[in-house]
Amino acid sequence: MGLAILLGVFGVSIVIGIPVAFAMGLAAAATFAFEGFPALLTFQRIISGVSVFSLLAIPFFIFAGELMLHGGLALRLVRFASALVGRVRGGLATVNIFSSMLFGGISGSAIADISALGSLIIPAMKEKGYRGDYAVNVTVTSSIAGVVIPPSHNMIIFAVAAGGGISISELFLAGVIPGILMCILLAIAAYILAVKAGYPAEPFPGFAFVLTAAAAALPGLFTAVIIVGGVLSGVFTVTESGAFGAIYAFVLTALVYRSLSWKAFVECLLSAVRTTSVVMILIGCASAFAYLLAFYQVPKLMTDTLLGISDNPIMILIMLNVILLALGMIMDMAALILICTPIFLPIAASIGMDPVQFGIMMLVNLGLGLCTPPVGTCLFVGCAVGKVPIEKALRTIWPFYLAMLVALILVTFIPSVSMFLPSLLE
Amino acid sequence: MLVLEKIAARLQVLFEWINRVNLFVCCCALVVLIVTFGWLVLGRYVLNATPTWVEQLALVLIVYITFLASASGVFEDRHLGMAFLRDATPSFIRRPLVFITRVAIAVFGYVMMTGSLELFEFGWATKLPMLNIPESIRTLPVIICGGLMFVFAASQALAELLNTSAKLISKNIGE
Repeated sequence: MGLAILLGVFGVSIVIGIPVAFAMGLAAAATFAFEGFPALLTFQRIISGVSVFSLLAIPFFIFAGELMLHGGLALRLVRFASALVGRVRGGLATVNIFSSMLFGGISGSAIADISALGSLIIPAMKEKGYRGDYAVNVTVTSSIAGVVIPPSHNMIIFAVAAGGGISISELFLAGVIPGILMCILLAIAAYILAVKAGYPAEPFPGFAFVLTAAAAALPGLFTAVIIVGGVLSGVFTVTESGAFGAIYAFVLTALVYRSLSWKAFVECLLSAVRTTSVVMILIGCASAFAYLLAFYQVPKLMTDTLLGISDNPIMILIMLNVILLALGMIMDMAALILICTPIFLPIAASIGMDPVQFGIMMLVNLGLGLCTPPVGTCLFVGCAVGKVPIEKALRTIWPFYLAMLVALILVTFIPSVSMFLPSLLE
Repeated sequence: MLVLEKIAARLQVLFEWINRVNLFVCCCALVVLIVTFGWLVLGRYVLNATPTWVEQLALVLIVYITFLASASGVFEDRHLGMAFLRDATPSFIRRPLVFITRVAIAVFGYVMMTGSLELFEFGWATKLPMLNIPESIRTLPVIICGGLMFVFAASQALAELLNTSAKLISKNIGE
């Protein structure tokens, strides 16, 4: 009965449009009340869910990303990417994807990626004769690299949702190859479409320009080196490297690039505070919700049910991916990581999948959900930035979906795609 | 009706100010968090004198940022949810659902406020390590968040109700 109340209140709340965090909080409070526990227990769980040391890295990453977004790094990265890869057919699409890969490595946010790069590259692509829907689709799908390429705050959320037993360094390393692979596959899809449509290549700007562009972009790229390098080398904890990265990003944009105005700084703070609260309250409420899921042994029930349908690992992985893809279409990424990890991770572990590989598979899978309606945040932002109707973008997005699906299949069924770099660490 | 609308408009101005102050406190907390953590890194790796209180302070500050800004999130209606199902329904279904959503958030805010008040009383005697301040200081923003959520969501529910009533009245006059 308690489980029915938990899932019933949560399900009804979600369907009528109550925010996910409060839906989880309401369901947990109702269930604790039903079980005869005092109301304060719900909020004790929520507070302790938020007061986790490694989670402190989240506001730091978000703030560093905001500083990079408002501090003029995007333009420098696009120039650098253009100088390096602009010469292929449909060069600006490749520049777009390559810039996303670099920017994703710094901001860790797909939305920041679209806002910063999309507003620069989409108008430039349109001006050169590229179709608006093509430009938007390239921008939207390549932004997902930011979710997988380290540092990514979603990796920290996954590590916390998994019970804290997963190494964030390993997750960071595990995301590198899948992120690059995804970008390569997207670049291939973009190239094929560009050849078909006869899109132009960019002229080579000369070695002097390449060097100047590299010199301008490298200090920004160094933010990612500080954060990821600090964690991987064991010099910093993830929280310390996040704080150091945020301070470095501030010094860089305010003092070195001199492109951060006071107004932009306040905007960065407000945006970081808002995003942090949305993510952290989700984590807190999910902590109370997950506590009750474990109390009613839901992960074990789900494992038994799925293993009852099939004990073939391939079938189970397909089922997990289909469920995650379906959920990713209707719910946001952070919420799903928090809800699904405690339930699906034991299933993946029961068929011998490494938790780190499962985490990366989940991030790639849910990243795809960010580009699909009805709750495709990235798609909506991309269409708004590119001023292209969603229906128009959706009609031509399929080759890019296919590229991302191939990446997902490779991450799911070939462990070394994600586990090769972490194995070197061992 | 006109009196109610005037009161609602004045309350809206008041809530906007509360929201601004709330976000200002959160931004200050974020700045303090980053600066003190920078100090921690400097102390640990350069000065070889780790300021141990920073970690505890950071854990308190993150609770303030999370809960105070979450209350602002209710005011600004920016929490993540699945509103597309509700938005796809016709107006006569959507309006009551929006009203129920606001009421549910207000109820959750009220439960949060009262539940955390108990926690606040319970934790007064316990001191936070390194900071030597009562544990209840960590619970304070949760009480404020619950209270603000209740006030913001209840006023939004009331506005929804007034809006619906106003539309019904103008429709009847029109007929």
